[in-house]
Amino acid sequence: MNTDQRNPGTDNAAAHGQSGAASRPMGIRQAFREIRKGIVVMWWGFFDWVAAVSWKALLLVSFLSLIIGGGIFNLPTLTFLLIVASFIIKVVAGGKRRAELTASQATRRAETEQLERMVLEARMEALQAQIEPHFLFNALASIDQLIQTDPPRASKMQQSLIRYLRSAMPEMRDGSRPTLGQQVNLSSAFLEIMAVRMEERLQPTVSVPEGLKSAVFPSMMLQTLVENAIKHGLEPKAEGGRLEIGAEIVDGQLAVHVLDTGIGFMPKSAGGVGLANVRARLQALYNGRAELIISVPPAGGTCATIRVPYEVVPAPAPA
Amino acid sequence: MHPLPAPTAVVADDERLMREQIIARLKVAWPELLIVGEAGNGREAIAIVQSLEPDIVFLDISMPGMDGIQAAQALAGQVHVVFVTAHDQYAISAFEQGAVDYLLKPAEPERVALTCQRLRARLEQAPDPMHALLAQLSQRLGAGGPKPREYMRWVQASVGANLRMIPTSDILFFRAEDKYTRVQTRSFEALIRKPIKELIDELDPDEFWQIHRATVVRVDAVEQVSRNLRGHQVVHVKGSEEKLEVSRSYNHLFKQM
Repeated sequence: MNTDQRNPGTDNAAAHGQSGAASRPMGIRQAFREIRKGIVVMWWGFFDWVAAVSWKALLLVSFLSLIIGGGIFNLPTLTFLLIVASFIIKVVAGGKRRAELTASQATRRAETEQLERMVLEARMEALQAQIEPHFLFNALASIDQLIQTDPPRASKMQQSLIRYLRSAMPEMRDGSRPTLGQQVNLSSAFLEIMAVRMEERLQPTVSVPEGLKSAVFPSMMLQTLVENAIKHGLEPKAEGGRLEIGAEIVDGQLAVHVLDTGIGFMPKSAGGVGLANVRARLQALYNGRAELIISVPPAGGTCATIRVPYEVVPAPAPA
Repeated sequence: MHPLPAPTAVVADDERLMREQIIARLKVAWPELLIVGEAGNGREAIAIVQSLEPDIVFLDISMPGMDGIQAAQALAGQVHVVFVTAHDQYAISAFEQGAVDYLLKPAEPERVALTCQRLRARLEQAPDPMHALLAQLSQRLGAGGPKPREYMRWVQASVGANLRMIPTSDILFFRAEDKYTRVQTRSFEALIRKPIKELIDELDPDEFWQIHRATVVRVDAVEQVSRNLRGHQVVHVKGSEEKLEVSRSYNHLFKQM
């Protein structure tokens, strides 16, 4: 494209006579620069080829060039020198160059893998963040009833619902990394709503130390554990029970648990889609440095613990 | 058919607020209807209906222990049933075929009035046993009916002082050891009391293969199969150094394709 534009320019300059003398050396210099660039590119192309090519192929090419260069063009010394030079290049630089090539390939592959993991995680997070319509309609039905019988409580419950929706809807979240504090707030709002509905059948306690609330914790995972504890642990039990959210640092890792005194874990429960999702997301996010542990407390029920590396979100810089 | 002058009803829902709501709205829509009892779960609903013999029962579908569908199946033909549900697209499509009525929570007063109107007309007839509807419903909701065989998805095992639930997808293999069975995962091992013989019946045959009297391996964890000096097949497992011998009677599992 550049050369196309230059050609009419030089024709023009030649036609005008005076300026032609000044522009001609410019053209030569330009051409010289182009040629030099071409040689550099060719040299590195040759260098890459020599570095990467197998010894067998190099020997074959050397043999052929000896015949062509030495025999037909009658330049045996030059050809021989060139071959010796390329052998030296191969020995000295070949290994290093090849290592560089493999390294860059590996980097590219790692980047692709990382990207794939991120895409997978984003898709699974969206899946996990779905709000159950059943929950929403039940909550609204309860608010509807409380408006008739106990308006202040209706208002409180509606506020909890708004708080829950604000943090549970993916499009309402800001882009920053989710913290344990945010996740605990979300689940607390959910538990307040469920406690109004289930009354004495749900006794929630949240004991998360203030200091841990700024720790990074993936979104919607705590909520999945809480929903599971209610749906599979407490709701099926006629008398209900306790639900506890807790967090602590164990061996430098952040361990967040949800314990319930419900009917206990069913070994044959085909469900656990939510749990499988948490597991897969932990793998995608932390690549083996995080885990989900389901255990049975001595007093019965179920305890689900998520352990992730302890990391603190840096405080936002003052604007 | 109904010697009692005032019709009677029982309301079953595990949430008190929801019971209060439906009762309050029934009072407005049908002042003569007597609410004779309330139940907090399916089992209670059956007991109360059978002892008080009301004309109508309002049943929430999702309740602890025994749900509304199961309760309705137990009470089929004894009482007119109205289902109450917060959100269930299946139930709605089934009810549209018109056997009994259903109410969506929160039940709007106008909708409750319509239900009462339908019930008044229905009370003259004997309660519909709703066999077809209930079968369809329970199938769609996955309650009752013939279920596909369920396999173990979690293994309860002691790890140190704790009792843990290990997902079967984490397990590499099971191996009989003296009185116990060892459960091996990538990161730890645990012991269970259940012998291999009983275990194999409960595991999904597509997920786990028995390769030896004392060994069961997860198919997906098998990395390769080689032969040892004695000519036995040996299974190598991803994420474990241990090699598992295949006994002759299980050789066919690893035949070449």
